[in-house]
Amino acid sequence: MNDPTFTTDGRSMDGQVAEDRLRRIEAGMTRLGLGLAHRLGGNRLGREAEGVLFDRLMRSLAERHPRAFAALAELPEARLLIDPQDAPAALMLRVGPSLSLRLCERNEPAEAAVRSPCARLLDLFEGRIDGDALFFRRELVIEGDTALILALRNTLDGEEIDLFAAAAGMAGPLGRALPPARRAAGRLLGLMDGVHRALPEPLERGLAALERRLSGRLSGRLGGA
Amino acid sequence: MDSFELICPAGNPAALRAAVDSGADAVYLGFRDATNARNFPGLNFSRDDLAAGLAYAHARKVEVYVAINTYPQAGNPEPWRRAVDDAARLGADAVILADLGLLDHAARHHPELRLHLSVQASAANAEAIRLYRDAFGVRRVVLPRVLTVPEIARLNAETDVETEVFVFGGLCPMAEGRCSLSSYATGLSPNKQGVCSPASHVRYEPRDGALASRLGDFTINLFAEGEPAGYPTLCKGRFVAGGGAGYLFEEPTSLNAMELLPDLKKAGVRALKIEGRQRSKAYIAAVVGAYRAALDAFAAGRPVPRPDLDAMVEGGAQTTGAYTRAWR
Repeated sequence: MNDPTFTTDGRSMDGQVAEDRLRRIEAGMTRLGLGLAHRLGGNRLGREAEGVLFDRLMRSLAERHPRAFAALAELPEARLLIDPQDAPAALMLRVGPSLSLRLCERNEPAEAAVRSPCARLLDLFEGRIDGDALFFRRELVIEGDTALILALRNTLDGEEIDLFAAAAGMAGPLGRALPPARRAAGRLLGLMDGVHRALPEPLERGLAALERRLSGRLSGRLGGA
Repeated sequence: MDSFELICPAGNPAALRAAVDSGADAVYLGFRDATNARNFPGLNFSRDDLAAGLAYAHARKVEVYVAINTYPQAGNPEPWRRAVDDAARLGADAVILADLGLLDHAARHHPELRLHLSVQASAANAEAIRLYRDAFGVRRVVLPRVLTVPEIARLNAETDVETEVFVFGGLCPMAEGRCSLSSYATGLSPNKQGVCSPASHVRYEPRDGALASRLGDFTINLFAEGEPAGYPTLCKGRFVAGGGAGYLFEEPTSLNAMELLPDLKKAGVRALKIEGRQRSKAYIAAVVGAYRAALDAFAAGRPVPRPDLDAMVEGGAQTTGAYTRAWR
């Protein structure tokens, strides 16, 4: 029999629910960030700022995960399109000696592409979900050079990546703003959990709608920027 | 009653830690080259990774087995011999071998090293297993996934060599170590280069909402929109025969023998193996944790919990495979 109160890795359902909520908030923040960067890239100055931002993120990730980044730099030069399907823009990762990450249109040519909703890609990137299982369920689309995708997946899965910690490790205003934003989201979720338990049903529904809006699951809210 | 040993896969150091932390009794892994049967890009262990993995596992009383289970290529036995020598030097608890020459090398040069016979050797009868025991001192044999539980019971009654069987994960329905289907399509061999359906020869293409999977020059499956997908292996390809398309060898499905724990115990099986060195640490944590909980409950005489592992399996389907041969 399935035990309804525990997940397969032994976390309590309450813990799992809180974790899921935090992930939704993070996915919403990521879509918002991609949307802002997409708008920023509309002129030359904006594109330069976007380049600086992504270079800093890559440096922060490389400092935290030198083994994985050394492996990615050793790959033959190739472009991998990462498409969070519910976000306003996609990302182009160049592997090889000149490793880089940039915003791009989702139909830009590349040697390989992976497409999935933003939250799923974050789960995959941070090792919380199995890529093969996503593929079996048809929630992950793979195109082009399968060996390149597999090399990237296996390399990243060997790490314990926290994208938000890496982003917070960047120098500059975004690095300084992220930890308080994440803490505030966590505190808000904790408050919501407490209030949920005390509320009559109609008010609880209203609060759930607010939470959906916060996590970007209402049409065009955060993701459509 | 002795408990089953739970033998778990690891494709990288993070996966090894996940397996150890989730309740493995032993972790099996391979080096980053053609000496093992999961030679995929970005996967496997350097010698330094193995040393660190051994330290992590041994500190938690978990063993580490090194799979060196492909067949050395003619005129080039050195990478395979060096893999055995390095595994012994670094303190691996066992090596999992298939090739007769390599077994001979290990037995002669590392008499203290525990030898397990890989599933790649396809040893499926007591005479063969006794020969491996007598000639090389093999202590455990991983049985091919083509035997029924009663056949395993008869085999255990005829030999004192420990048996290990797969209980979860990818299901190879062929005579392992002798299958050439992937070699035929790609020119690369699972048994020599360690790559069944090498990623370099796999392509996925959208076709009017459906998903086509190609291996080399062959389209081997077409999944309708929303239909669960499977690995791009020829043995699970969908072929047109007799006027219709269907699975001639095996459907995209995964083994799960959790319901057979009492039968496998009665049959005298010593160790249970989870397949999936190519899978992520998330898969490993989920499946190893589920089997740890099941084995602890079984050993204590409690009802065995049956967690939902549907989300993890190929084709969204699970089977007890040849153990029960429900198709007969």
